[in-house]
Amino acid sequence: MVPAQELTVRPARRRRRQAGRTSPGWITAFCLPAFALYGLFVVVPLVTAFYYGLFRWEGTRQAGFVGFGNYREILTRYPLSEEITAALGHNVLFFVGTMAIQNTIGLGLAVLLHRNPWGKRLFQTLFSLPYLISPLIVGYIWSLLLSPTFGPINHVLRAVGLDSWARPWLGEPDVALPVLILVNAWQWIGGPLLIFGAALAGVPRELEEAAAIDGASAARTFWSVRFPLLIPAVGVITVLTFIGCFNIFDLVYALGGSDGGPGGAMDVLGLLYYRTAFQGGSNAIGESSALAMLIFVLIFGISVALERALRRREVA
Amino acid sequence: MPRKYGVLGAAAMLAVTLAGCAPDSGDSGGDAVNLKVWGWRQEDVAAYNKIFQSYEDAHPGVTVEYVPYKNTEYDTILKTGLTDANGPDVAQLRSYGLLQPLVAASGLVPLDDQVKELADFPKPVLDGARGENDGKVYGVPFALQTLHVIYNEKLFADHGITAPTTWADMIAAFEKLKGANVIPLASTVTDTWMLPIQHEIFGATTYGGTDYLNKMLTGGAKFTDGPWVKSLETWKGTNKYWPPQSSGVSYADAQALFTSGRAAMFPGGIWELGVFEKANPDLKMGIFNVPPAPGAAVDKTLVPGYVDGSFGVSAKSPKREAALSLVRWMASEEFGRAYSNELRQISAVPNVQPQDNLLAQALRAYQENPSPYVTYAYFSGGSPTGWDLASAAFSDYLLGRRDAAGAAGHIQRGVDQWFRPKN
Repeated sequence: MVPAQELTVRPARRRRRQAGRTSPGWITAFCLPAFALYGLFVVVPLVTAFYYGLFRWEGTRQAGFVGFGNYREILTRYPLSEEITAALGHNVLFFVGTMAIQNTIGLGLAVLLHRNPWGKRLFQTLFSLPYLISPLIVGYIWSLLLSPTFGPINHVLRAVGLDSWARPWLGEPDVALPVLILVNAWQWIGGPLLIFGAALAGVPRELEEAAAIDGASAARTFWSVRFPLLIPAVGVITVLTFIGCFNIFDLVYALGGSDGGPGGAMDVLGLLYYRTAFQGGSNAIGESSALAMLIFVLIFGISVALERALRRREVA
Repeated sequence: MPRKYGVLGAAAMLAVTLAGCAPDSGDSGGDAVNLKVWGWRQEDVAAYNKIFQSYEDAHPGVTVEYVPYKNTEYDTILKTGLTDANGPDVAQLRSYGLLQPLVAASGLVPLDDQVKELADFPKPVLDGARGENDGKVYGVPFALQTLHVIYNEKLFADHGITAPTTWADMIAAFEKLKGANVIPLASTVTDTWMLPIQHEIFGATTYGGTDYLNKMLTGGAKFTDGPWVKSLETWKGTNKYWPPQSSGVSYADAQALFTSGRAAMFPGGIWELGVFEKANPDLKMGIFNVPPAPGAAVDKTLVPGYVDGSFGVSAKSPKREAALSLVRWMASEEFGRAYSNELRQISAVPNVQPQDNLLAQALRAYQENPSPYVTYAYFSGGSPTGWDLASAAFSDYLLGRRDAAGAAGHIQRGVDQWFRPKN
């Protein structure tokens, strides 16, 4: 029997030989538009933000080089310094909550659909549909659903006698962040569902059959056979979730406004940046650029570290 | 995230640059002058065109064009526009703290010596258009906003209530409505920008309004002093008359509670009248202000108000003389009347009476017993602004995460970093 790997490698080799005949000029020509766009919209703003962050600004006028003065300012000024720590904490909680709820449930649903493929396509489509809606609209619709005065959710709870459960969902500091995690999971659960579904489909059937013959229980089969083979998918989803959770802005803005909901319970770095940049004072450009750089370094650094760590586990 | 905002920023820059490149029809026609007035009121274009028509009729060869931008993006666009001769000739300016970045960037022409009509404007009105560092006036104020309790006349009549003139009457009215299953006050908690407004409406008499403000500005009083802290308690004391589960009630919810007749009163700005009328054309409304609370520092009913914005001249405009002549006209009673009638607002021009009865009542009451919107108007010239600090602190206070003294302490600690009392 020809190993499956051989079958897939051969056409790839043929393509590579063909690619070798393409002149470097053509390759450059085809890459250039992408590089130009990347340079113009990613590299230039990034460098500009760093450069702007080194100056003090009076409105739109540069008023002198201050080095890392803006960084010192945002890290020491009350209450901004405390808001940065609080917002970062909320981002971390949001990430942990999303991993625990959205991705765990996504994995569970993917396993269910894998074991019982009836209506698999339909459910995959249904769970992925909220992807198509802008997070701003999702947030707005959920804020209407959760409204204590007009929202149907509290209305239903009261109708079935659960009056004590009906609460101002987006108005209580302790409840707001969990609600945010759930609404966000409602929108994005299709992601882990599809990625885990594809990874599960890639687990060789022989392994599952061998485990079954050895008398392994369903749980044992999952943890000892399937899950180790899902680790690369877990890695991808963890990095994507991390970036998504630390970049979040639109959904929180729609649910809790630019101040991040009751007592700032949903305040995240994205909102904090927005307030610093668009509701800041004379030196808004300098301070917001510095804050943007801090956030970028944080997300970029952790993403790279996370990716490295996960890849090392895959190799092991 | 810098990525995301970087792209947005670049796109915004591109849009502004492209807008700036648009051909300027006014320069090509000999003596003809085309003045561009930038503003944030997209919904008012027709009214402004009508208002400026009378100026054009009186000044042959001059055309005035109102160019509106999206409200939420206007400040950013204007900052860039004022650095360029292709930007606005005259610009609608925000007041108080939000004006300061434009003044600091030298984007505006000081008007004290140029527009002599400004001498007739009351000082508190000019404060809205003043540069905080040099004390010069950079715009001709166009509108006043006043803060009141707006009430549903029919619900008041149904329950035999009239606009209260004493605190006890007011509380009795609240009780009566509550007993009849009507929400007395449609107050919002989640939209924090409304909190300092509600605080001024209910708390002004407790701390004393303008007298207390003057002490604060000269270093004789603080947010953390007794009267001001007590004013927070006066305000929060009314929370048993707010909607059930008020901590989750948004601004839009509160508006809907009032216009649907489920709530009898809405504490807010005079600008709400137009919004409410649109939502429910059959709604008959009245306004009153909160009478002095027990233990208040003053014994009269105070009416909080502030300047909404002004019209200023771009320092980069190549048509400065024509632009100055336009803003001089904007300080005239002719403009004030047209503005008030077309836009249903209280004009900031002295001696202009609104035709609308409620607006006229609001203006009269404000002129008799004016009170400042302290955090927004007088403590937003530095970072962090008193208004932002107050919005956050009041939210914490209402949710029970800070006490009144703690909330006041948050504001004081924030503004102490930049505020220096005069004298």
